[in-house]
Amino acid sequence: MAEASPRQDVLSFMRRPVADAAPDAFEALALRVFAWQYAHNEPYAAFCRRRGRTPDRVEHWTAIPAVPTQAFKALPLVTAGGPGKAAGEAAGEAAGEAAGEAAIFRTSGTTRGMERRGQHHVSDPALYHASLLPTFAAYLLPDQARLPMCSLVPPSAEVPDSSLAHMVDQVMAVFGAPGGGSYVDGAGRLEGAALEARLAEHEAAGTPVCLLGTSVALLRWLEVLDAAGRSFALPAGSRLMDTGGYKGSEREVSEAALRSAYGRLLGLPADHCVNEYGMTELLSQYYDDVLRRRVLGGGGRPAGIAEGARVGSPGGTPGARAGGRGAGPAEGAPAASSEGPRPKAGPPWLRALAADPDTLAPLPPGEEGILRHVDLANLGSVAAVQTEDVGVVLADGRILLKGRLPGAEPRGCSRAMDQLLDAERTR
Amino acid sequence: MSVFKAWHLPGLEADHVEEWRERVLPDGVRLRWPWLRAGAMRELAGGVAAAGEALDRVPVVEIIGAVDRVAGRLLDPADPLRAEAAALLPAVTGFHPAMVALVLDRMAAEWRAPALQRLLVAELGGTAVLDGFEVLPEGRLARAFGPRLALHVFAGNVPGVAVTSLIRALLVRGASVGKTAAGDPVLPVLFARALAAEHAALGDALAVTYWPGGEGPAEREALAAADVVVAYGGAAAMAALRRAAPPGARLVEHGPRVSVGIVGPGALTSPERAESVAREAARAIAVVDQQGCVSPQALLVVERCPVTPLEFTRALAAAFEQLEETLPRGHLESAESAAVHRLRNEAEFRAIAGAPVEIFAAPGTAWTVVLDATGELRASCLNRFVTVHPLRTLNAAVLRLAPLAAALQTVAVAGAEELEAVATTLGRLGATRVTSFRAAPWPPGHAHHDGRGPLRELVRWTELEDGS
Repeated sequence: MAEASPRQDVLSFMRRPVADAAPDAFEALALRVFAWQYAHNEPYAAFCRRRGRTPDRVEHWTAIPAVPTQAFKALPLVTAGGPGKAAGEAAGEAAGEAAGEAAIFRTSGTTRGMERRGQHHVSDPALYHASLLPTFAAYLLPDQARLPMCSLVPPSAEVPDSSLAHMVDQVMAVFGAPGGGSYVDGAGRLEGAALEARLAEHEAAGTPVCLLGTSVALLRWLEVLDAAGRSFALPAGSRLMDTGGYKGSEREVSEAALRSAYGRLLGLPADHCVNEYGMTELLSQYYDDVLRRRVLGGGGRPAGIAEGARVGSPGGTPGARAGGRGAGPAEGAPAASSEGPRPKAGPPWLRALAADPDTLAPLPPGEEGILRHVDLANLGSVAAVQTEDVGVVLADGRILLKGRLPGAEPRGCSRAMDQLLDAERTR
Repeated sequence: MSVFKAWHLPGLEADHVEEWRERVLPDGVRLRWPWLRAGAMRELAGGVAAAGEALDRVPVVEIIGAVDRVAGRLLDPADPLRAEAAALLPAVTGFHPAMVALVLDRMAAEWRAPALQRLLVAELGGTAVLDGFEVLPEGRLARAFGPRLALHVFAGNVPGVAVTSLIRALLVRGASVGKTAAGDPVLPVLFARALAAEHAALGDALAVTYWPGGEGPAEREALAAADVVVAYGGAAAMAALRRAAPPGARLVEHGPRVSVGIVGPGALTSPERAESVAREAARAIAVVDQQGCVSPQALLVVERCPVTPLEFTRALAAAFEQLEETLPRGHLESAESAAVHRLRNEAEFRAIAGAPVEIFAAPGTAWTVVLDATGELRASCLNRFVTVHPLRTLNAAVLRLAPLAAALQTVAVAGAEELEAVATTLGRLGATRVTSFRAAPWPPGHAHHDGRGPLRELVRWTELEDGS
């Protein structure tokens, strides 16, 4: 097992222009990452052995054993011996990729307070940033715009557990133009007056802005704004990223209703409102590709950011699908409409499949199942993650999110034993 | 596309119905039911109650005869009633056709005349106290009256539970409105229709239909009209009905219950004996896919016997595998599949972290057996998921059940040397039934259910004293 860490190759893959990628680059790299994680992450290796699926027996990325998101609560899923230390040593190799400070991101608490929160040990922030920054740029800034960024997410310093806060901090630091900031404090209180004053300035000056927030935070703010009879007509080129809207928060609101509020109260066209799909357990993210398509034209050549990174929808990766059907991402895929879920795309180092909820076997494209992701940016933990998010993976690799598996209620007359046992434990 | 009319509402007129609603089953059959206008259920329930009063002149033995004939039809493979039930129930309940057939056979057998007679004798000493004033053993003269109108609020998908409830009310000459559960809106309707065909006056004293629980004017009006409310369901549904029932009405609650199994030294003396007990235990768990209140949700197995808990667990897994061929697990919603995977994952993570846990499972979600020696009792998500807990002694096993006391129902016991002593401890704890694995899924109709008398809790008594 003297295999070298695939870290450098993952980083190169992230920086390579899409057109240069070998047809099966993802496949080959995913299998190497799997072998590396199998060798250096004992709980994961045990998980794989129990399934009889070890690196010598896995030939395709779809067969890599995926840990359920639940596993991040129960097991220390750290792939050691690689990224953390190696990154520090290798810091000199390429400027700007020092490993930086390790972080632990935690999932938000659930309704069952006793449940442990999921933990994602991020020992290699450089790899994390190498993934999140170009992907954000590709889907929020395909026109290479540099805008003031106004965030409704608390600053990372106040909520160090939050992967979203960390991501927004990074994005603002790297891409933000002066005139932005965070308008929520650590307790989640919105500084509405300050935010509105800032937006009014930009509106008056004709400076386009970028708003960032969770769907719930944006909705609450807009309700207050609406009740007060205020609204904005943000300058052309303004845009918004929201996230988490579809997950079962207490305030369910449809994507379409939110988008219409963005239009009415902020003056943002629907194709400048981009929903992000991310989770603590994945270091890469998916985004609606509406803005990217609007700017570049359907299936247009992916744009990069300053360092020359290239990001496209997975379908844009030549050879990603036999026969090159992926070349025209619009083909056979539902168009973005104001109703229903929009297709979401991720970077080439992140792929999804839908699995049968009963057998967990991969389903062909177009069939609804529970989404499984293989994210090479997860090199330091586990790349293959099985979620309980329901969705469809389109033939071009984009995904349609349909919601989340609900908790099951017993149908018969027997009582759920766990309620009794929970009551006993909390006593 | 066939349509099933999921109601039996004597006196229903077109102007009672605000609109017709439908639900399409996985096999394409459309279930249709009327969404009643305000005031409609008040009128219909009034008609049913009046028909109940008219039953005063019908001897109970005549009621038994009519129910018996319907039960006979449900048991007869050549009868169209049985065929219709067998065709509709798999899609509506999710159970495999083989399971539906088994449950119909066992349930309907309890609706035959001899079983009903046993029930009446056990509960009320026979039919006489229902047919008139009768001298009780201590010399008093008394008569038992059934509910003027019983509202039954059904829950779950186990076929036959609802029909049993309706029959009990009929036996004490009570009129009934049955609100079917989404899990089985079919069998109670088939039964009511068939009964009406056998005996028109009985059919008129019975209304059965569906509405979404807690919604619409029908539920309010049915509750207002009822003097007895027989409620099935989860804790939340019980609490809601307790609040909504009229102050004077008697509430008969069949709330959620937990059942378990205990395997003692006598069942672990030889591999053959252990395999036989394992087969019976697997079957007790598999019947109605563990959805029954009598379905064991966990097994406690005594250690340090010739057959080890691990060997017993292997035998149990083998038995589940075999059952997949003869009595396959039914269809699961994806949320239920996810629940199975979640519990399996939890067990697996404990095993990976070094805990003494072993998992045996079907490739899909059909069955899961976990051997867990951590000492902590584990919950089941049902649908044939069971954890085997090794314990030092039988007594330790019984004590381990303490957290479940509040809801403990059936305890299936195999191989206990001093069964009465075990049953006494279990009874003190709260268990309402101690039985074998073989009998566990099929409580006799005349037995106390949840520790109470199934007919006695429906009747009220009138004493006729000397000198009147």
